[in-house]
Amino acid sequence: MAGKSGRSINNVPKSPVKQMIFSWEGILVLLFIAANIFCACFSEFYNVKSLLRQMPVYLAEIFLMLPMAYILVLGEIDISVGSIVCLSATMACIVANTGAPFIVVILAALLVGTACGAVNALVLTKFEELPPMIVTLATQIIFRGIAEIVLGSGGSISVTNTEGFAALGGKVGRVPYILFLVLILGIIAAVILGKCTFGRRVYAIGTNRLAAYYSGIHVQKIRFIIYTLMGTISGLCALFLMSSSFGANTTTGNGFEMDAIAMAVFGGISSTGGKGNIAGGLISAFIIVCLRVGLGQRNIHPQVILLIIGVLLIGAVALPNIIKEVQKKAKTVK
Amino acid sequence: MEKKSFMKKLTGSREALLAVILILLFVVITIISPSFLTFKSLTDMLKNNAVTMVMSLGMLCVMLVGGIDISIMSTLALTGMSIGMLLKYDHISSTFLAFVIALLIGTACGFLVGLVISRADVPPIIATMGFMYIYRAMGYLVSNNGEWASAAALGKFKDFATTKFLGMSLVIWVIILCYVIFFIFMKWTTLGRRIYAVGSNPSAAEVSGINVKNIKLLVYTIMGLLAGLGGALQVSIYASAMPDMQQGGEMDVIAACVIGGVSMSGGRGTVLGALLGSLILATIAKALPLIPFFDQLWLNTIKGVIILVVVVVNIVLQRTADKNALKGREM
Repeated sequence: MAGKSGRSINNVPKSPVKQMIFSWEGILVLLFIAANIFCACFSEFYNVKSLLRQMPVYLAEIFLMLPMAYILVLGEIDISVGSIVCLSATMACIVANTGAPFIVVILAALLVGTACGAVNALVLTKFEELPPMIVTLATQIIFRGIAEIVLGSGGSISVTNTEGFAALGGKVGRVPYILFLVLILGIIAAVILGKCTFGRRVYAIGTNRLAAYYSGIHVQKIRFIIYTLMGTISGLCALFLMSSSFGANTTTGNGFEMDAIAMAVFGGISSTGGKGNIAGGLISAFIIVCLRVGLGQRNIHPQVILLIIGVLLIGAVALPNIIKEVQKKAKTVK
Repeated sequence: MEKKSFMKKLTGSREALLAVILILLFVVITIISPSFLTFKSLTDMLKNNAVTMVMSLGMLCVMLVGGIDISIMSTLALTGMSIGMLLKYDHISSTFLAFVIALLIGTACGFLVGLVISRADVPPIIATMGFMYIYRAMGYLVSNNGEWASAAALGKFKDFATTKFLGMSLVIWVIILCYVIFFIFMKWTTLGRRIYAVGSNPSAAEVSGINVKNIKLLVYTIMGLLAGLGGALQVSIYASAMPDMQQGGEMDVIAACVIGGVSMSGGRGTVLGALLGSLILATIAKALPLIPFFDQLWLNTIKGVIILVVVVVNIVLQRTADKNALKGREM
């Protein structure tokens, strides 16, 4: 079942069209359309133009969803990404303010992110018995703590020369660069996870780590690569985040890890490992982005949007389980 | 069976080791700053960390069955905000009633979390993450979109934290009461032992007639109850209620448990460990500003490093213990 959506409704009819609709991705596509119709009815300003204009702020988080999907497929979790975003944004700001060329700023952000990811990876692979939740909890506190120390008592920093970051936030016609990058990276991540040996090995580890190990997969090497990559992508996210905020503070990236996990899990990627695919994650990510833009236009407080995300998240995991349970009970009654 | 030497007992028991660390911390800090080891300073420290200390008991139960709950501080905000608003708009005025309402709301929140986790088989981290969003947003909605309940609005309720009984603040008596109840509950009652049984081996517990689902429901309900209590204490101690209080505080509670030797995979951990863990965290937070060259800014980094070191040392000790055990078998 690896590779197929984690949650599909049982008793799927055999016809391929019906099969597609009844798969989790099919339901997500329907939900995506429904969300857009809802937003369009709800807010008179909601159209493609305003969507493209307001989207970039939320798109940066989708970057995080991609490596997070790999980690969830491994059956693990990384809750330090928000702090890595904060630290790389801070460092990038400092480097930018020294007057370095923008390419150096980009490299700095990516390097800091990679280094943080490598710390996670190193601890997790050297001491493989440790639960990732605890290790990344500790590094979450450490990375944000370092950012707090660097930022000093003021707690915030802003870029003096915004040229480079403004260029990152540029557009082709109306479409922002970041949307292209999200789609390109999404396709690359989906192909690697779904079609390449590396991706299939990730599923193997997530389904049964011991069996994967004995069948000759370098489990620790793959985990190391994925956790390090998670850091790199966090650095990328930080760069694009700053293309709209032009600065960093101690709360930058707060809760991003939860958003990334929510997107992935809502997209059908099981947190227990071995199930789900990137396509589902991407569709669910865009549902959440559209809802945020649409509800935000009518001045609905972000907290209410978080409430909706929370309900969707729990519902997406609980409903299939409840349906399965009910079906099982119905069978035993017969 | 050979009798263990005193040293072995000391290094073998997690709690003894923690107690030694705590005493060492106390000694070092007192040498640096003699004002630390005074009754007032210590009770202040306990009072400021009352919320974490009380809630680490609930987290102990949750982690014992192999779960985790990151929604607790949202539950705290919801309950604290609810009683804050009730007091502000004069719907209630009695302190006792406010506590009862806080406990009820907290219990209901925890019960719902438990239902989703035990009955719908949602992984704890996902379910509590969802409820973290939901309860936080509900707390915000309760507060009429971000109103605060300030000290003046709270009336008599804030006096709870300043009232003294036998020389100590009532808050500290609440902490002591909670720890005594939980010590007895976890050690000498059937229900408490069942929580350990479920955590050590769920399938064995199931076969031996324990309703695993109900135990899971129970621990999350207990967690909710304590989060409700935490909410009331928080509002009372800081004499204000706001919808974003204690955001991110769940990490402190988890950290206290982890330092106290509660295992993430379940079945291992004691009330004493949770107490020592949260005391060590509280002491470090209190001591840091006293040490020269160390800013309050360093607090989080140091906290994180401590957690990391503790879990890594734990694993190293475990590995050497396993190796030694194997050596014995090879003979």
